[in-house]
Amino acid sequence: MLKNKFINHVKIIIMKLKEEIKNYIIEASLEDADKIKDDTLIFDTGLLDSMGLLFLIEFLNENYQVEVIDDELNPKNFESINSIVSFVEGKLKTQAAV
Amino acid sequence: MKTKDKKPFSKNILYIENIEEVCNEIIEKLKNDVTRKLQRKGAIVGISGGIDSSVVMALAAKAFESKRVTGIMLPEQDSSGDSEVLARDLADKFNVESFVENITGALDGFGCYQRRDEAIARVIKDFDPKVDKAKIEIKQDINQNMPAISSITVIKPNGKIESKVLPLKEYLQIVASTNFKQRSRMTMLYYHAERLHYAVIGTPNKHEVEQGFFVKYGDGGADVMPIGHLYKTQVYQLAEYLGVPQEIIDRTPTTDTYTAEQTQEDFFYQMPFETMDLIWYGWENGYSANEVGKVMGKTTEEIENNYKNFGRKKKTTEYLRMKPIF
Repeated sequence: MLKNKFINHVKIIIMKLKEEIKNYIIEASLEDADKIKDDTLIFDTGLLDSMGLLFLIEFLNENYQVEVIDDELNPKNFESINSIVSFVEGKLKTQAAV
Repeated sequence: MKTKDKKPFSKNILYIENIEEVCNEIIEKLKNDVTRKLQRKGAIVGISGGIDSSVVMALAAKAFESKRVTGIMLPEQDSSGDSEVLARDLADKFNVESFVENITGALDGFGCYQRRDEAIARVIKDFDPKVDKAKIEIKQDINQNMPAISSITVIKPNGKIESKVLPLKEYLQIVASTNFKQRSRMTMLYYHAERLHYAVIGTPNKHEVEQGFFVKYGDGGADVMPIGHLYKTQVYQLAEYLGVPQEIIDRTPTTDTYTAEQTQEDFFYQMPFETMDLIWYGWENGYSANEVGKVMGKTTEEIENNYKNFGRKKKTTEYLRMKPIF
């Protein structure tokens, strides 16, 4: 019962995830919203530097309780909004399955 | 650089052919900057037993005939014992007056160690600063297109290692705490410079200046930086020519800042300086990633990612090089 409630909670978080992450990146980078697409390469375009990435990791931890480990710090997980969303989704699903 | 003036990229491209002339130019400029521009009588150099400060000390000794140069060793409780011995040997070799100013008490007063250790303990729960060693590392592959994120590594007395990515608040607190070290050193160097009416001679090399591997108003606080335009391999070339003791030349560059042994490569640069010098030169002078990759034995994509990382590091650290805005 408690586990089902938790899984539903995770599903709701995932639904809102893309919008929240996109809003965060727009706010953090001070960039025009229409220039940031879901597949924009955020490091190539200079939207986030190393401090920007560190602040993003903090945002993910505070809002979704996602902890990032060394091996996960790679472009596949962080290069665009789409990749961040799928990384966080994967972490949340793993947490819900435990 | 115009394309027609460009030499083909090679591993020898940074080798200084006319080393005597280059050294004499630096020495003359240093003398002129200190005595004429700054109107000071001599040079204060903080010496650590590392290659950069040793070369600067040797240059200053030649510019001011040793007698108007003072070398100051500024160890604290985390410094390696070798550093002081090597720095003293260096000063003796160049016949320069030197002495020790231990800054541990000042750092204790600032709460440097306590603030740093509190932040480490929030990440590594059973961290015991009395017996454990700690250091900051960047563990990611420099060849991937990704900004660097630091991890904290704690080594237990039994050799057990625990490492975690540093969260934002703890990363900032550890860096801010340890920066007391470089800023306290700068304060002490200026005390002696003012006491003697000398100038403080800074020791950062080109990479430290341009990639931001220095502390603003710490080791970045100086009146002149005579090797600020030199690549690390060129600093070594000067060291050989000027007669810096071989033990200093052979030593692996470390930060000498954290309790665990830590190379500059692990802490910041993510690649050996012999490689970094060449790729940085290629980036700065507009060589294609393809041409540089062929010489360096790396793929074009790896060099492109190195170029992107260099650009990012330079941009991220612009704040450190900025003068106050008014």
